[in-house]
Amino acid sequence: MNREPVVLPNVKTKITTTKKKKKFSMKFLTPWLFLLPAIVILATFLVYPILEAFKWSFLDYKIIAGTGEYVGLANFKEMFADKYFWVALINTLTFLVIVLPLNVFLPMILAVLVNQRIRGAGTFRVLYYLPVITPMVVAALMWKMLYSQSGIISEFLVKLGVFDGPTNLLVQSSTALTAVAAITVWKGLGYYMIIYLAGLQSIPKDVYESASIDGASVWKQFTKITIPMLTPSITLVSVMTIIAGMKVFEEIALTTGGGPSGATTTLVMYIYNKFMSLDVSIASAAGIVLLILAIAASLLQMKLTSKREDDLRV
Amino acid sequence: MKSKQNSKIWLYAVMILITVLTVGPFLITLFMAMKSGSEGIYTSLLPKDPTLVNFVTAFEKANFGLYFMNTAIITAIAIPLNLLFCSLAAYPLARMDFKGRSVVLALIISTMMVPFQLYMAPLFQLAGELGLRNTHIGLVVMQVSTAFGIFLMRQAYLRIPKELEESAYLDGANRFKVWYLVVLPLVKPTLVTLAIFTFMGTWGDYLWPLLNSTESSMYTLSIGLAQLSQNFDGSNLKLISAASILTTIPTLLIFIWLQKYFISGATDGAVKG
Repeated sequence: MNREPVVLPNVKTKITTTKKKKKFSMKFLTPWLFLLPAIVILATFLVYPILEAFKWSFLDYKIIAGTGEYVGLANFKEMFADKYFWVALINTLTFLVIVLPLNVFLPMILAVLVNQRIRGAGTFRVLYYLPVITPMVVAALMWKMLYSQSGIISEFLVKLGVFDGPTNLLVQSSTALTAVAAITVWKGLGYYMIIYLAGLQSIPKDVYESASIDGASVWKQFTKITIPMLTPSITLVSVMTIIAGMKVFEEIALTTGGGPSGATTTLVMYIYNKFMSLDVSIASAAGIVLLILAIAASLLQMKLTSKREDDLRV
Repeated sequence: MKSKQNSKIWLYAVMILITVLTVGPFLITLFMAMKSGSEGIYTSLLPKDPTLVNFVTAFEKANFGLYFMNTAIITAIAIPLNLLFCSLAAYPLARMDFKGRSVVLALIISTMMVPFQLYMAPLFQLAGELGLRNTHIGLVVMQVSTAFGIFLMRQAYLRIPKELEESAYLDGANRFKVWYLVVLPLVKPTLVTLAIFTFMGTWGDYLWPLLNSTESSMYTLSIGLAQLSQNFDGSNLKLISAASILTTIPTLLIFIWLQKYFISGATDGAVKG
């Protein structure tokens, strides 16, 4: 079958009135027929559970019985009075503060490196991307092994003189959150590198050429041209990091489980723990706090990227 | 000239150092998986007496053959369904004028902001009520139709010139035919990108399979691996390493096969976030 559309002269065909009526009802139905399968699934497995979660946050919900009484804002009050909720919120923010600068700068450096016109740049690009395609569970377990007391990281830190004896960073309250954050950063390096790479390739080459004719050093070119020209990519990576960072789960659940003594219990871990102890109403209330944070970050991103989308639409 | 060559050597040195950081963990895991029974795990980097016995043990005794099948089945369900339903749903949202379009679109996009952890408990209960606990379909309900997929497909449709469809209508084709015969072939690269996203999302998914599969016969690779790692000690680490490598190999093969789509997919996804 010839799938190439044939371009015809732009002549409007006349439609008979009887046909028009039939066409009208079809015209009304057609879009909804296209939408039907996806809408049914999304409504059932996404929208309905979301609405239920909102409802549960105002109920004293018993998941086993499947019922609950209306308690107003009692769940939120109980949650805000819970010291571990605040610990979780602070841990979430601390996690973001650790991850954000690393996610913004390390992938940028990687992108500048693999953007060089040198032999093998493509191969390095692939090798840097490898962690991105690794299932998160695998990444978490690999790093758990690397972090173990007799593992290579501990050995290295002892050699550097950071620690006197073999130490597992994941079991120290002071280092656990940073150690987990390192896994997140490692896993995302390649992904954000690609975003920066796209940004770098949109910078005109002649800007650099005239700069080097003027005698600007490589460092000066990086700080005075590359970084300012990459501003859109930087904001994008920042917001993506914030949104993804708020939802971090596997790295923590599989390495520290939230410990030691709550040091890595983020908001998501808090929700998970509440769910596991069947406090689903508190879990829902905490979920709403997480949602509000996620919406704030997403709106920020939409504002920042709406210009790019407009560009696409033209 | 000399300084230029020097700087090139530095460049390579730095790039290789970064490779050690990104690829190193895989090699260490691979070496660990190849150590034989009596060998200490951390005594040396390279296995003294390399063996594949841990891979065989993972497959046979630790049931990774079964987990592999479960994961393959749910991925095989998720990819075609998600591609079909998203590419269908996105079409009117990009190309037709109808009442309620902007509302539907806004609703779909806004659900992308909702963290899974908010609604996992109600979803868990719903899956139980619908008889989806410990079923393949139950494991994959979240992936067979995604808001992100609809958004991605819509973006792709928006880039197609309208004239291409209009001429097909004049030829007498109906909406469905135009979508299937004219539009869909034009967005093939996006379909591949969405297939990759669906694959990654399903293959490595952890939290939902963890909640929904209470019987070990329904475990996916991620869950099997997590269960195996509950006994995280010397006796088990070689097995965990072998199972980790086994879990990663399919994603690695697909990456090698569809490399350029992975790269473009990252930036496609970034526009949406």
